[in-house]
Order: sequence, then C-alpha cells, then structure tokens
Amino acid sequence: MSSEALADIKIQIDTPEYDSGNLHSILSEIKFALEQLLEQKKTHCIDLRAMPWSPGEEDKLEQYLGRGEISVELNALGKSTFYETRFSGIWIVTHYNQEDEIIGKLIEITTMPEMIFSQYEDIKESLENIQIQP
Amino acid sequence: MNKQTLFKSLQQQGVTRRGFMKYCTALTSLMALPPSMIPIVANALETAKRPSVIWLSFQECTGCTESLTRSHSPTVEGLIFDHISLDYHHTLQAASGDAAEHAREQAMKDNYGKYLVVVDGSIPLADPGYSTIAGISNLDMLNETVAGAAAVIAVGTCSAYGGLPHAAPNPTGAVSVSSLITDKPVINVPGCPPIPTVISGVLAHYLTFGSIPELDELGRPKVFYGQSIHDRCYRRPFYDKGLFAETFDDEGAKKGWCLYRLGCKGPMTYNACATLKWNQQTSWPVESGHGCLGCSEPNFWDAGSFYKALSIPDGDYAKAAGYAVAAGVALGAAAGFVNQKTKSAAVSQHSTVSVDDFAVNKDKK
Repeated sequence: MSSEALADIKIQIDTPEYDSGNLHSILSEIKFALEQLLEQKKTHCIDLRAMPWSPGEEDKLEQYLGRGEISVELNALGKSTFYETRFSGIWIVTHYNQEDEIIGKLIEITTMPEMIFSQYEDIKESLENIQIQP
Repeated sequence: MNKQTLFKSLQQQGVTRRGFMKYCTALTSLMALPPSMIPIVANALETAKRPSVIWLSFQECTGCTESLTRSHSPTVEGLIFDHISLDYHHTLQAASGDAAEHAREQAMKDNYGKYLVVVDGSIPLADPGYSTIAGISNLDMLNETVAGAAAVIAVGTCSAYGGLPHAAPNPTGAVSVSSLITDKPVINVPGCPPIPTVISGVLAHYLTFGSIPELDELGRPKVFYGQSIHDRCYRRPFYDKGLFAETFDDEGAKKGWCLYRLGCKGPMTYNACATLKWNQQTSWPVESGHGCLGCSEPNFWDAGSFYKALSIPDGDYAKAAGYAVAAGVALGAAAGFVNQKTKSAAVSQHSTVSVDDFAVNKDKK
C-alpha cells in the first residue's frame, strides 16, 4: 500500500491532552540552529524519522512551521519535495522511493538544501554529452 | 558482479549525483545515524563492494523473510540487486535441489573469508532429523557455511536466542546461533519478527563501513537496541504521572494512558519500535493500544502471560518508584530491575495464559 493510499483512510487523530516534550525540544534545536546559521553560516539537519512521535505530533509541527514562498520537486530514484517553511531558513525535505513510499524526512536549517544545486559530477557528464549540432 | 563498486553500478544505471545523495540520505537514516554522517556514508559507498550473502533458514516460520521483503527503504529488490549479492536463500531463489546447494557451495568458494551468513531460525540439537535441508542437518550446514564467513547475522529471536522452538519444554533441543558459533563475530538482530528496516540497516552498515556495528552484551547493535521501549515510549509521561489503563476499554485506554498494568513489557524490552515503528512508520503495538510483548528479548515466550503486569503496581515496584519519582531515568531503571526479577520467577514457574489473565486487573479494582 503506498503512503498516499494510507493517507486516504479517513481517520481523525485526537491530539493527546498531555505534552510529550518532543515539540518543545525539536523547536529549541531548530531555533538554536537558526541562530548558528545567521551568525556563523553553519547549516544543520534533523532526521524527523528518528523521533518517537506521539499520534498527530509530527503533523502539529508541520502545521506550526507552515509553508513559505518556495517549493521544489526533484525526480531522481523517485520523487523528493523541498519547501521552505514560513520561517525563512527552515526547510522540510521529504524523499520518496519509486513506489511513492517515504524513505527519508528531514528538517534542514540552511539557505538552500545542497541537493537542489546542480551537482558538479553531473555537470561533468553533461559537458561530455552536449552536442553543438543537435 | 560483486567486484564492481556500488557507486559505479548506480552510475551505469543512469543514476545522477542527486539520486546517489538521496540514496545515501535514506541509507544514513536507515542505519539510525545522524544526518551529519551523510557525506561520510556517501564517501564510503563510492568505494564499497557488494558482499556475497548466504541466507540459511532453519527452524523458523519465514516471518523474518516476510518482514525483510516488506522493508521499504530501500526496497528489497534494491537491497538484493544493488547492495548485496544474495547468492543463496531458499524462499527467494529460483534454483532448487542440487542447483540451489551448488549455488551455496560456489558462493562460499568464490568469496571464502569474505561472505556474510544470515541465519533465521534455531538449530535443533536433540535429533538432527527434526530439521534438514537437502538431507543435511541444520547443525552441519551451519558449521560448514560459517567456516569461511566474515561474520554471521542472526536474524529473528529464534536464531538470536532460540525463540519459540526453544520455549519450554523445548522438544527439539533448539539453540541459538551464538551458542554454537564462538570463533566468528555474531550479530544478533532479535524480534519476532525484527523491524524490517533494522534488518536492512544492519546489512547496510556492513556494506557501507565493512565492519560490524557496536554491540551490547547480548550481541545486539546498540544503535537499534540501545534503549528500552519504555524509555522511548510516547506514553511515558502517563506512566510518570501514575495514569494507567486498567482494561482495554476503559477511559484510560481511550485516553491513551500507559499500558503497564495491562502487561506491557516495554520496561524490560530493548528495541526500536517506538521510533522506527511498523508498516511504513504508520504505527506500532503501543500506539495501536496493545502492550509490548517483549518479542526481542530472550525467553519472551516463557516469561509469563502477555497480559499480566510485570510486577504488581502496588507491590515492590511502587516502593522502588516512590524513591525515584522525580527522576524519570532512575524510575525506568528501578522498574527494569524489579521486572527482571519478576520475569525470572515467571520463567521458573512457567505460568500459562488463561482467559482470567485478561481480567486480572479488573478483578483487582
């Protein structure tokens, strides 16, 4: 079953009435990383799949971060989506495999995720393949 | 085939640098390493060679293979064709009979001293006739195959600790791989079955770094089995506040309170279910409202009823917890200590499951 098919099942997730502390700690980490980005140009990355989320908690984080001005879609070994949240410098990156299942989900604190840039290894190959008379 | 590096073979398949980096990102997450390791993983994979893998299935139910083939990141096809050269696996290989056994012998000869052996299932010692493959006893096949192996990965609780076949009265004399193999590194990947991404994560670690991950005293990779289910459980705050579900349909159960009193074995179970979860990270037992069975621990089948609390909440445990109420970590440690004792008692008494167990806490009220 693909992840989209799973998302099609209509269920309502009740957010637990208690605080697991996950959101507080991850937002503190993000805020600290944002300071470091501004002051030292140091980038940071958080693996969202390594968090012991309670039901609905990850959605709550994404809702809070919201969506900003830019989003990018990449097609390499399946789809990947990159978007900047409403907080400049905070990006959410999701990697899918060819079956459209999520294989990686990260928060990147950077001016632009590295993978969006053209890669020099690929540029080298382009140079070898490009023909003056197509 | 396995002389080529993974990076080269991906490049030949038209995979771009971005695709390769994406693959490395997924692999780093799969190995439970921090994202800062992505460049190091990429660097290692540029020169990594595909290791030959021989998979032996002994006294098992094929549940571990079922689990692995549902590993989604990366897919098992990717794992087989890109990561490893799976040269022998009863269930998955096309060859049968002599041809299959020949494939195993050939792989051993070609990669002597370098191949990986994966074992699922326990080995019967009472009578070799209980489980044979091509007329060869499990014990003989294990010894013969492991002789030229670089390392052995025991997948599933049966091969790691004896598992269900080892449960009392253990009619087949089932034993674990590590009790027989002492001269090679043995990595235990327990679970009934293990989490699919943990199986592929351990294989990926060997492929990437050419070494085995750091292990705990039970031979399990610390990166996946370093913390208890209880320590990583999102219901832990309820435990700390003393809020427990008493039955599977009471108000506490509906509100998602701690399942400790309904027999959850989380405090004494070391596994990654709370973070990696199951079925594409959809959920895991505790999230679906059922306590942990402790399936990745030795002798879990003989450790008393699944529905009996590890210790009586108002007994020894409450006393121990009383002293440590302010310190969550100490509380978990205290619970673990009391529960290890309870578990040993249950093993020696071999208590059985009955219908009454489901109502045991209800009656107490």
